[in-house]
Amino acid sequence: MSKDKIRWIIFAGLFLFVTLAYTIDIKMVSSPSYEVQKSFDYIESLPEGTILMVSFDHEASSLPEVQPISLVMIRHAFRNNLRIVGLSLFAEGTAIGYRTLNKIAAEYDKIYGVDYVFLGFKPQHIAAILGMGESIYDVFPHDYLGNLTDTIPIMIGIENYDNIEMVISITDGDRAVQWIEYAGPRYDQKVMTGLTAAMITSYDPYLSSGQLFSVVGGLKGAAEYENLYGVPGKGNRGMPAQTAAHLYLIVMIIIGNIIYFRNRKRQGRSS
Amino acid sequence: MDIGVIIAGILTLAIYTFLYKDNPIYRAAESLLIGLAMGYVLVIYWQTAFMDRIFSPLLNESDWWVLIPLILGLLMFSRFSRKYSWLSRIPIALMIGAGAGVAIPAMLYARTLKQISASVMPLITESGGFNFEALVVIVGLLSTLTYFYFSREHKGIIGKVAKLGTYFLMLFFGATFGYTVMSRMSTFIGRIDFLLSDFLHIIK
Repeated sequence: MSKDKIRWIIFAGLFLFVTLAYTIDIKMVSSPSYEVQKSFDYIESLPEGTILMVSFDHEASSLPEVQPISLVMIRHAFRNNLRIVGLSLFAEGTAIGYRTLNKIAAEYDKIYGVDYVFLGFKPQHIAAILGMGESIYDVFPHDYLGNLTDTIPIMIGIENYDNIEMVISITDGDRAVQWIEYAGPRYDQKVMTGLTAAMITSYDPYLSSGQLFSVVGGLKGAAEYENLYGVPGKGNRGMPAQTAAHLYLIVMIIIGNIIYFRNRKRQGRSS
Repeated sequence: MDIGVIIAGILTLAIYTFLYKDNPIYRAAESLLIGLAMGYVLVIYWQTAFMDRIFSPLLNESDWWVLIPLILGLLMFSRFSRKYSWLSRIPIALMIGAGAGVAIPAMLYARTLKQISASVMPLITESGGFNFEALVVIVGLLSTLTYFYFSREHKGIIGKVAKLGTYFLMLFFGATFGYTVMSRMSTFIGRIDFLLSDFLHIIK
């Protein structure tokens, strides 16, 4: 059989396996990891009216993985009557952030400008992070809709990080690293992140050194958070398919290794 | 059905045709994706960098100070001229100088000093117990560093410690690879969800 045909069979198998697992309604039980529990407990412990800064630092391509995280965390914040200052330090995250906030705000009857605001995008992210430590009004003179920032009810008195309880960076890359490195030591700002699974190991050193408060990682992290929140969403929905895909890949790796060692043995004999 | 959903569904399928083999439908969808992403980012940057930071302060508030970064930015384009390309060194020097000044202290603190202090943990806990995690961290750290120590040949005890370091490295690479596979599968599941629910309405 040609290599192309083998490739097609593997892809077709994965497609069928994942699709089948996705269409079957299976409830999977998973206990929350320490980091997800810590994130949830912290948000849960905050008094009403506390200001959270949510930064949408990701591209559209990572939406399937990071959006379930941002959805459940923002829902949790709005349910507990926390207020949100949204922004983006990644150009592609701008419209996504605005739409996500509006969508969830509508579910909880939250009012733009009072319960939440979206400041928009700012280029030169390091300068923006450092600048907000001095004055958010200087870095974002206007919000995404063009309103003067210092006249928006939620922003009155919110001058810098002193008035922000936590920065939550929803990211698919290293943008949260800059939040940790520049907002953390200099302005003593707590940083939490929701990120793609591929980035989890990159953030481990910041977690273990205490520079990063907590992490909600990947679709699995979203599913765990949804379980704690009590309302299953896309994270939980994706777990059976995720498990099926992993099982499929494990089987493929085992088969691949068996074929490899068998071929090597044959070549050894023939030579 | 929303026209946007139909277009997105067709383009998703067009991208997946690559799994069969490279073809014009895939390339058209890929070019459209890149073009749209670039166009979107360009518009955002135009508005937030040029309009908000340069043109608006200059024209509406007569803030002449913004001419300085504007001129410095324009000097970057002198790279296109052989005669005047030296002018681009001025903004580049400023950028590197300011960038290094801001980044070095922050990175030194976050990536070096804090990591060193986090790596040096007491082997005996406050309650008198043995801290196994601290032992794993210190053995992993030292053996991995030994692997990257090339001033002496990896023979004898150094060779054995370096070999142990490779196992720690393999553990890290394995974990990273596993997470990356998980990440890519999540993206794939996201597309399956879109195709089955929004596009084909097979599931709710």
